[in-house]
Amino acid sequence: MRRNSDRIQRNEERKEALVDSLRLPKDICMGAIKVTMTGNREAWIENYRGILEYTENLILLQGRTCQICFEGTRLSIDYYTNEDMKISGCISCVKYL
Amino acid sequence: MIRFLKYMKGYLRVRVWGFSPERFMNLCSNKGILLWDIVREGDIYYMSITLKGFWELRPIVKKTGTRVAILERYGLPFFLPRLLKRKTFVAGLILAIAFWLLSSLFIWDIRLSGNYQITDDVFQSFLRENQVRIGMRQDMLDIQELEKQIRRQFPQITWASARLEGVRLLIDIKENDAPITIEKPDTDPGTDLVAEYAGRVVSIVVRSGVPKVAGDDIVEKGAVLVEGRVPVYNEDTTLREYQYVDADADILLEHTAEFTASLPLNHIEKRYTGREKSSHYIKLGDRSWALPENRPFLVYDSVIRETRPLMLERLSLPAFWGTVTYREYQNTEYKYTEEEAKAHLNQKLMDFLTELEEKGVQIIEKNVRIEKGGDAWVLTGQFLVQEPVGKSAPTERIEVGKTEEDE
Repeated sequence: MRRNSDRIQRNEERKEALVDSLRLPKDICMGAIKVTMTGNREAWIENYRGILEYTENLILLQGRTCQICFEGTRLSIDYYTNEDMKISGCISCVKYL
Repeated sequence: MIRFLKYMKGYLRVRVWGFSPERFMNLCSNKGILLWDIVREGDIYYMSITLKGFWELRPIVKKTGTRVAILERYGLPFFLPRLLKRKTFVAGLILAIAFWLLSSLFIWDIRLSGNYQITDDVFQSFLRENQVRIGMRQDMLDIQELEKQIRRQFPQITWASARLEGVRLLIDIKENDAPITIEKPDTDPGTDLVAEYAGRVVSIVVRSGVPKVAGDDIVEKGAVLVEGRVPVYNEDTTLREYQYVDADADILLEHTAEFTASLPLNHIEKRYTGREKSSHYIKLGDRSWALPENRPFLVYDSVIRETRPLMLERLSLPAFWGTVTYREYQNTEYKYTEEEAKAHLNQKLMDFLTELEEKGVQIIEKNVRIEKGGDAWVLTGQFLVQEPVGKSAPTERIEVGKTEEDE
């Protein structure tokens, strides 16, 4: 099991080095979530799979490799499409799970 | 822009509740249904959804076990059917647009600018001859041909441009500033300058020709002042030939000019009785409609006051309305008093004097009398004036050989 996770990590590192050397956009090739924030009021999120949980104080999103959690108060989703979404409200914490 | 598109396509504000609204949203986004303004209040989610997306919701709702209720409808697809129910309004709208489109195919105003010598009336009658009228179809007008025609018809127009601005035909012309020179018939030169009056020569400056008079000379009317025949002599001072030129000189001649004016003692004057009648009319283009009116008074004159409504003027419709006021008067005989007669005659004299001044005449002495003679007031004036003279007349031609033979 340990060896397996090591191998995955090594693969990831190799892939990252390749993407880096080819100067390809990392968010697309690595399947990473891209978050753009202005202050703590607005956040634009790209490259996610879907919403897992949405309440006034917490928004949990599923990405390809990880989950991301926005905590705060009066959180709302301004728009939500397959490509990107916008969260507004008072964001106090961004966590990767 | 996006808001406008959303409005055009129509959207709904919906309420979503039930087993798993998050999954509902994920499925929506996977199917490409746009959701926005998602707000959670308690267990209920409020969101906006496109109308097209709403039609595709049924399988998602079934799968996720949620329920959807419409709160409000926005956009044109909801507004339009309600609008179309008002049939008269829609008919009016369509008619208005049709009228607007149709009337933009015609010319409703013609503006002319840049004309000084050619009056508007002359130009309008020229346009009428060329079938350019207010109310004509725009595609019947050949602008290039019109410009050509303008230049052909009026030789003093050096430049003409016509253009359509909306429903208005703008014609710009430029007239020749320099006076039109009448081309002299191509004959041999040879003219004299002849005195138009009898008088005393004050000064003479000759540019071409042979002067026949000098300063202080007294000349008769018709005497040759400058001759256009210039003799050319041989070395032994015998005459070789004559060269003919058009004589040209500035000659100032002092002579007496007379002016008489008379004013009859009695004259007929209109005396208005104060009785007035007025009638109204409407004019569209060249046609006018008025109420039929009998001869209002025995003797009358009429004043026509025409107005063009300002709003229509901006829209350039040739619509006018006007009032004709008939004023009754009686012809009465009237006798001028001495002061009135003098004022009238003096005015005539002043007109004559300014006319002289415009011709470049200098007045040295004047002697004016106003007398009452017979049945009129008579003004007689004698003026000593200095006036530039010189009238062209053909030179008498003399063959050199003949004169020598004669000698």
